[in-house]
Formats: sequence, C-alpha cells, structure tokens
Amino acid sequence: MTAIPAVLPERGLADRLTGLFWRRPNVLLALAIAPPLIWLGVVYVGSLAALLLQSFYSIDEFSGVVVPEFTLKTYAELFRPQNFDIIWRTLLMSALVTLASAIIAFPIAYFAARYAKGRWKAVFYLGVMLPLWSSYLVKVYAWKLILAKEGIVTWVAEKLGAGFVIDAILAIPAIGGNSLSTSYIGTFIVFVYVWLPFMILPMQASLERVPTSMLEASADLGATRSQTFRTVILPLALPGVIAGSIFTFSLTMGDYIIPQIVGTSARFIGLAVYQQQGTAGNLPLAAAFAVVPIVIMLVYLALAKRAGAFDAL
Amino acid sequence: MTPAVTFQHVSRHFGSVRAVDGVDLTIAEGSFFAMLGPSGSGKTTCLRLISGFEKPTGGTIHIFGDDVSNTPPHLRNVNTVFQDYALFPHMNVRDNVAYGLMVKGVGRAARYGKADEMLALVKLDTYGDRKPSQLSGGQRQRVALARALVNEPRVLLLDEPLGALDLKLREAMQDELKTLQQRLGITFVFVTHDQGEALSMADNLAVFNEGKIAQIGTPEEVYAKPRTRFVADFVGSSNVLPPDITRSLGGPTAWSSLRPESLHLTAPGGALLSGPVTSLRYLGAGNRITIAAPGGAEIAAVIPAGQPVPETGQTIGLTFVPAALHVRGSA
Repeated sequence: MTAIPAVLPERGLADRLTGLFWRRPNVLLALAIAPPLIWLGVVYVGSLAALLLQSFYSIDEFSGVVVPEFTLKTYAELFRPQNFDIIWRTLLMSALVTLASAIIAFPIAYFAARYAKGRWKAVFYLGVMLPLWSSYLVKVYAWKLILAKEGIVTWVAEKLGAGFVIDAILAIPAIGGNSLSTSYIGTFIVFVYVWLPFMILPMQASLERVPTSMLEASADLGATRSQTFRTVILPLALPGVIAGSIFTFSLTMGDYIIPQIVGTSARFIGLAVYQQQGTAGNLPLAAAFAVVPIVIMLVYLALAKRAGAFDAL
Repeated sequence: MTPAVTFQHVSRHFGSVRAVDGVDLTIAEGSFFAMLGPSGSGKTTCLRLISGFEKPTGGTIHIFGDDVSNTPPHLRNVNTVFQDYALFPHMNVRDNVAYGLMVKGVGRAARYGKADEMLALVKLDTYGDRKPSQLSGGQRQRVALARALVNEPRVLLLDEPLGALDLKLREAMQDELKTLQQRLGITFVFVTHDQGEALSMADNLAVFNEGKIAQIGTPEEVYAKPRTRFVADFVGSSNVLPPDITRSLGGPTAWSSLRPESLHLTAPGGALLSGPVTSLRYLGAGNRITIAAPGGAEIAAVIPAGQPVPETGQTIGLTFVPAALHVRGSA
C-alpha cells in the first residue's frame, strides 16, 4: 500500500504565501488595508487638514495676498449679514430637503424591505438607481424646463383648470416667485428629486434588518400600528434614517449647481465657496465657508447620538 | 365551561399549499396543550391563527366563546413567546417586559412594578437594566416569557420556545414551564417538533401531519394507541407491522404497532419474533437493536443498560406481553 502523505508539499509561491498569512494573519490584514489607509489618511484627511489650516489664515485686503498667520478674522467674517444669510439659507434648505426626502423615502423603503420579493425587488433597485445613472446636469436642466412658466407643470395645471393653485403657491411671500423654476420652491423640488435615492437606500437596508417577528411581537402585546411605528420600527430604522439624512443634508449643503440653474439665484454655501476661491480669490474665506457644513454635520451627529439614534446598532 | 380555543373546520391555504386543512380542535381552559408535528405540518400556522397573524381561509375560530374572525392581533388577549424571542434590541429588559403595559397606557411606576414582578417570576429580577444582547439564550427565553405574561393573557402561545436551547437547559425549562403553567392556571398552547417534549409536558396533544390533525388525545393515548401509521412512526418511532405479521403474532389481520421498549430479549427458539441483528446503537441509557424478522419486517427493540447486548449478525428472539401489541383499524 502506498502511503498517502499526511502533509502535502508546497507547490509554489501561492502555497508559501497562504502559509505565511496563516502563521501571521496580521500580514494579510496590513497588506489589504494599507492602500486605502494611505488614501484616506494622507490624501483625504490630509487635504481636509490643509483646508482647515487655510481657514485660519486671512487675506490682505489691499494686496489680495493670503497672510499665513493664525487669526480668527476670517471666521468673524462669516457672521457678517450677507455671509450669515448664505449659511442660514443653506442650513434651512438642507434641513427641509432632508425632512421631505425622509417622508417621501420611508413608504418606498418600507415597501421594498417588507413586501418586494424577487422580481419586484429588482424593479425597486432599478427604479431607485436608474436616475443616478444619467447626468446630473441633464436632470437639473430637465427640471428647469419642467418647472418653467411655459413648462409642463404649469401647462397641465392650466388645462385642468388648476392654474390658480400654482399662482397661489407662487404668491406665497419669501418662497414664491415669478415661476416655479425661479423660486425657492423649485430649488427645493429639484434638490429632493436629485438626493432622494441617497435616503431610500440606507433606509431600506436598515428596515430590512427589522425582523417581522418583532413587529408581530409588538402587535401581539397590544400595540396599535402607530405605536408599533413609533416605538419599534422608527427606533430600529433610525440608524438608516440618520445615514440617509447625512447624505441628503451634506449633499444639499455642498451643492452649488442646482441653486444656480433652478431658483432665485440667491447664493448657497457651495456657490459662496466657488466664488470666493475663484472670482474673489479669497481662499481663507472659501475655506471657512467649507468648514461650516463640517461643523454642522458634527453637531448634528452628536445630537443624534445623544438622542439614542445609534443604540440599535 | 367554555373551552379556551375552538377551531371549527379551520383552513389556511397559501395559494395551492394547504398549510392548515379543515382542522377541528378544542383546547380546554387551564390546560397545557401541545401541537406536535414535523416542520411544515401546519402546527405553527395553527398557532398564528390563534394569535391573529394569519387569517383563516375557511372555518371559524373562537377564543373563550368569542368569534375572533374580525379581531386584529392587538385586541386579542392572547400572547406569544416567539421562536426567536423577538425581544426589542433597543430597549432594556425591564422596558421589554413592560412594553405590553406601556402601549396600554399604564403609568411608568405601575408598569415597572409589574415588570419587576414578572422578572422575579422567571428569576431574572436583577437583570432589568441589561440589554437583551447581554443575556444568554436561556435568559432571553425567560424575558420573552415574562414579557408575554405581563398582560395576563387568557391563552399563552409558545412557538418552539425551547428549540434554540441546549439539552440540559431545555430539560430545566420544561420543568419550569410546566410548574409555571400549573401555578398561573393560564392555558398554554405549545408548538414543538420534539415528541419527548410534547409527551412530558402536555395534558393533551394534537399530532399534525400535512395540515391535518392525525390524532388528538392525552400523551398516554397517543403514545400507546397511535391511530395512524404516521403517528406511530413520529411519536416514539414505533415498529409498524403489516397485517400478515400482526396475525403471525396472534393478532387479527390488521396493521398494528409495537413500541421498541416493550420488546424483551429471549432465546431464538420459540420466540414470537426472531432474526439476525442488523444494527446496534448505543443510547447511553441502553442499546437500540434492529432485527430482520421473517416477512421482511425490521423490528427495533430497546435493551436497558446492564443487560447482555447481542452482537451484530447474531440471531436472537424477542418477546412481549400481548397487551403491548396495538392493533389499528386501518393504516
């Protein structure tokens, strides 16, 4: 009888490497995460630090040259009325867009997580992702046409004899305007449209992790549907809602194209950054503006954590 | 006395699948009722019909005399211990147990008082502040039990509650559940695929097969007098004997069954059953042997520990007292 060896011989480099990784698991881990760590740590966080540093410099008002000395002067400029208006407008718009996205996304995400099976699940993913595959600019310009005074929305409303509804909406002070495409309402609609998928997907993922038996347990113990929603579904889905809101909130805060194309042409933070570092050549102020969304997001996350949004993680 | 639960020709079909098919059932108040069957036999669907998570496609269900056809789960005074426990991960143990009172609008002090009482009942009084994720499987099971009992349900439904526990813990919980049920006097309806569990705990049990009840009765009746071949095989894996062998053993020409533990070793000559040993399995408390009897039947017998064990291939004889042979009307 030929003896079958209990230990097989190494056949080459792959065997030797596998052996090495088995003896020293950390080697494989280090090899796998070193490139992304370098990317994240140096390229990403590094440039962010450079940005932060820049915001503590100031610009010489006569020569227009950046003075590389530590000062809080640039930050103080943010509180000038014309700059503070930009921050306040952006913050309000981001909050409203996030809220509206959450309200619209929830039923869609809930349906996809609970009821959609097989083919319908594919239809859901396709439906949510498809708009993301086409150019963002094309979509925004399309919306400009849709919402324009001669656009399809006004046309349909007039044909249905509901033109007065649009007129009434446009007559609302502050958010109204000449037409939907030149009002804050138009900007808001386009923002919600463009960022909605970023709310739906994390929401759906978190709802999918809530087992049906948990909803049944709630009903079994005497809870009405709305009690189950408030005390079980919402707390368990909250990490997903927060994740989605981080996307919609920060994407709205940073966007500088939509308000330029659809809306009143009032400035938002993104546009302010764009203009300060470009036309105005005031890099420190642009950096200070760019720090605002970061600070707001950090405050938002801290509040969410304190409210227990991540307890279910 | 009004029965706790009655099924009148209840069916639940999912498309062409007849999960529950024309079930008639009466569960007496204060009893420990087990629904036993293999997976897919319809026992869990029956439980969900009582709790209201499934609606019957035919027939009517009464709970304490009330027709519950139009009653949603949250208005049924029936509570469930779920198979996966379904504890709320974002609440601590006390809030989990108090949940049923919270949704009914009971004040904080009162519901926490009651919740702590329930936790004491399941011997977890010091665990109120922990999260479910910090508990062991057995402890979670007790929390689920306390949570289901806090509403003082008329019927407690248990869906394979011990399935995820290891053997030792399972046996301890079986005793505890039985004691608890006797102490509280609540009707327990217990779903299990473990025949030992059903036999040892239930006052009455229903054996399910393919959406129908194969047999219903006390554990003794079902075990000793299985009415169908399926029940004989599923409950305690009986020897099922075809009519010709029944007759050769002194019975009528009919299907019959013989429990392995009612057979005793004897010399092959003149024994009722004899043949070579085909398999031998050590059980700890004894040995299970199988012999190939004449006529092609495989007969299993359990030999208690301490008795001499035959070898595989050795021809042996088996005997039994005539009363052990249970003759059925049909197969």
